Amino acid sequence: MKPVEAEGLVRTFGDVTAVAGIDLEVAEGEIFGFLGPNGAGKSTTVRMLVTLLRPTAGTARVAGFDVVKEADSVRRLIGVALQDAAIDPLMTGSELLRLQAVLHGLGRRRAADRGSELLERVGLTGAADRRVGTYSGGMRRRLDLALALIHRPAVLFLDEPTTGLDPTSRVAVWEEVRSLNDDGTTVFLTTQYLEEADELAARIAIIDNGVIVREGDPTVLKGQVGDPTLRVEVADETTIELARQVLGAFGDQRPARDGRVAIGLRGGATRLTDVVRALDEQGVPVAHFELDSPSLDDVFADATGRRLEGAET
Amino acid sequence: MTGVAPARSRDTGVGLFPIVWMCHRNLTRFARLPAIMVPMVVMPIFFLVVFTSSFDGISRVDGYPTENLINWVVAFALLQGAMFSGVGTAGTVANDLETGFMDRLLASPIRRGIIIAAPLTYTAIRALIPITLVTVLALVMNAELPGGILGIVVAFSGGIGGALVIGCFGLGVVLRMGDVRAMTIVQMTSFLVIFPSIGQVPIALLDGWMEQVARVNPTTNLLRMTRQGYLGDVTWADTWPGLLVIACGIAIFGTWARAELIRRTR
Amino acid sequence: MTAAQGLRLNRPRLLVGTEQAWTLTVRSVLATARKVDRWAPGLIFPLAMAAVYSSQFAKATGLSEFPEVDSFLQFILPATILQGIAFNASNAGTDMASDIETGFFDRLVASPVARQSIFVGRVGGAAAAAGFQAGVHTAIFVVLGVPIASGVAGVVALMLISIVLSVGISGFGLAVALRTGSTEATQSMFPLIFVMVFVSSAFFPTELMKGWYQSVAERNPFTLVMDPTRQLVISGWSWGHVFEALGYSLLIGLVSLSLAYRAHLRRLRRS
Repeated sequence: MKPVEAEGLVRTFGDVTAVAGIDLEVAEGEIFGFLGPNGAGKSTTVRMLVTLLRPTAGTARVAGFDVVKEADSVRRLIGVALQDAAIDPLMTGSELLRLQAVLHGLGRRRAADRGSELLERVGLTGAADRRVGTYSGGMRRRLDLALALIHRPAVLFLDEPTTGLDPTSRVAVWEEVRSLNDDGTTVFLTTQYLEEADELAARIAIIDNGVIVREGDPTVLKGQVGDPTLRVEVADETTIELARQVLGAFGDQRPARDGRVAIGLRGGATRLTDVVRALDEQGVPVAHFELDSPSLDDVFADATGRRLEGAET
Repeated sequence: MTGVAPARSRDTGVGLFPIVWMCHRNLTRFARLPAIMVPMVVMPIFFLVVFTSSFDGISRVDGYPTENLINWVVAFALLQGAMFSGVGTAGTVANDLETGFMDRLLASPIRRGIIIAAPLTYTAIRALIPITLVTVLALVMNAELPGGILGIVVAFSGGIGGALVIGCFGLGVVLRMGDVRAMTIVQMTSFLVIFPSIGQVPIALLDGWMEQVARVNPTTNLLRMTRQGYLGDVTWADTWPGLLVIACGIAIFGTWARAELIRRTR
Repeated sequence: MTAAQGLRLNRPRLLVGTEQAWTLTVRSVLATARKVDRWAPGLIFPLAMAAVYSSQFAKATGLSEFPEVDSFLQFILPATILQGIAFNASNAGTDMASDIETGFFDRLVASPVARQSIFVGRVGGAAAAAGFQAGVHTAIFVVLGVPIASGVAGVVALMLISIVLSVGISGFGLAVALRTGSTEATQSMFPLIFVMVFVSSAFFPTELMKGWYQSVAERNPFTLVMDPTRQLVISGWSWGHVFEALGYSLLIGLVSLSLAYRAHLRRLRRS
């Protein structure tokens, strides 16, 4: 039994198809990264998996239970921290933990013990009796994480857990997710940040326009893209076509921003001097030159023909 | 696989305990957000004082059932204040929908009915504030109460019942529309159902179209039930139509609200 | 001249300022016109109240203290207009607060727009909407058979009084908006205006009220405007009534706009 299994999952809203038939499998104890640009269908997929939305077609089982027919059982076994940290600013951290414990049927003593344990774990013991409205963005996310963990869920769904956080808070959330995973919790993480997926996930799926375009181990996926990406920015825009012709001899073209040419450099760094020489001979003035190992952005670009929106590369 | 096995229904919040905690949350919010409190305290006072004093002269019209206008108006102010509580509860749920708190509830294993029952319980508790305030103020302003304790009981029941009916209706509208824009409809409806009735003037003195509307408006029965103790003895004849309105209102709009809640996860 | 030096325009400042105030007024009017939830309550709610009260209190017109009227609907026309004005005025304050919250106000302040134009634009928008709404309300009453004793001149006077009074009431909303910069605080002003409308002669003659409440209602500024305005509707044309209603409206405006303008200057100093 896999913690998350989906087959042919489809969700339409009127004429709009948000999720167009996806298959997923998440292995026990792994962090699964679900990566895609805004509007790709990430949140819709998660909402179906956490029983907040019924699939239009297809089936999904979470923690061994069908998300439609056995929704109650699914709800008892999952922890959910959705994109908008739905935390009431007028309540204190400990009050919210107590409420969440009641929603999951925990007894008073067990709820109190578990609440204290979680507050300590996410570093909020000192702020437990303060109203959440006074918390920083990072503290809210950590509290949200604690709320999702109150009943020791078998599968934890985190929908864009670090969107809008500053870099320090983001790293703190990552550490917490890693530590949870070390304890054996299976984590289904959606993100639009490449770096986040790269840092945390043992396996990823890339979704675009409601379809999974790549799935697998990030290292393997990056390896499949092949050669490292060479990006050249020309100093004189009129020479960009010439640059494209020159570079075409060294590898296949890849998507690039305006004013730049990108190729997958066959032979890697050993061919760099040849490239520089060729550009110089043809009189292409170079403003910027960079060679990157394949990134998840390259994987995304390779799959979709464009760069990931909001990518932090 | 890690984690715990699904707990059995008796200890997974299927009982009524979550209602207590969800009410506790709303009451805590209520206590910590004085802005919510102001209209709840000010509006009933406003209704009672203004409707009694501005239109005092109407009691001099031949056929008006009492010379002391407050005896008539108290039920109107009480019911309007109570209905405001129902509207306010719908606003709380609209806020929960917008902030995503409703998703938190929906993704938890509690029964869907509890998600509806909790804000309604809160409505009933919250409605006690304007109802008590209006009752005390009316008595201070020399309202008579020939119906005695029973009169108070039916007045409180009518007020709480009215708040629950509007609360159920408000939940239905809010869950249907999904955000605070729904509140305009809920507020307008609460006004529109109470004004074309016998809030300020008895049916015999109403003119034209409104007389016809007031006769079929269910709020008329609710007002009759709530008011009776201030005009005379409490009778079953003036009580059961009001109870019927409350029961039907809660059953119809409550069922609708529950259906809308379930629809949100489809 | 380079772009960095800015464009030098040799146009009179007054002309430019008027043009800017006009543009901002048009913006306010369009913002209201394009949102149904903005104008519909101010148009419909007062009519609904008029419909309800004309039926509830029709028999009160026979009381000896009640002014001689054709119908209760005729009596309540000025109150309907006043309620419409109150709704519009509340929009002006809320919109200004919203501009402050969203940063649009700062954008205007950061531009070379004449400072007064920002202020006049908001007041102008509310005044235009109030004048239009008063015309619509009056037209509906006339269609329903309510006679306006002072005729066409009276209707024009009603619209003029509405415009001036609207500027006056808007001033209070703007003062709160500019002072607090919060839509919530500004919106909380509206019930207060609503209470003031009720504690006046708007819906019922003060002669039929009693005690302290009657004293308060008689001294309520809205009563001072409503009574002469109503005379134009029920008795006929009188310059005295026109000047009285306009005079009190101007006085309300003078007080509220002074408060609002002070708050405006204070905010500009902070910007």
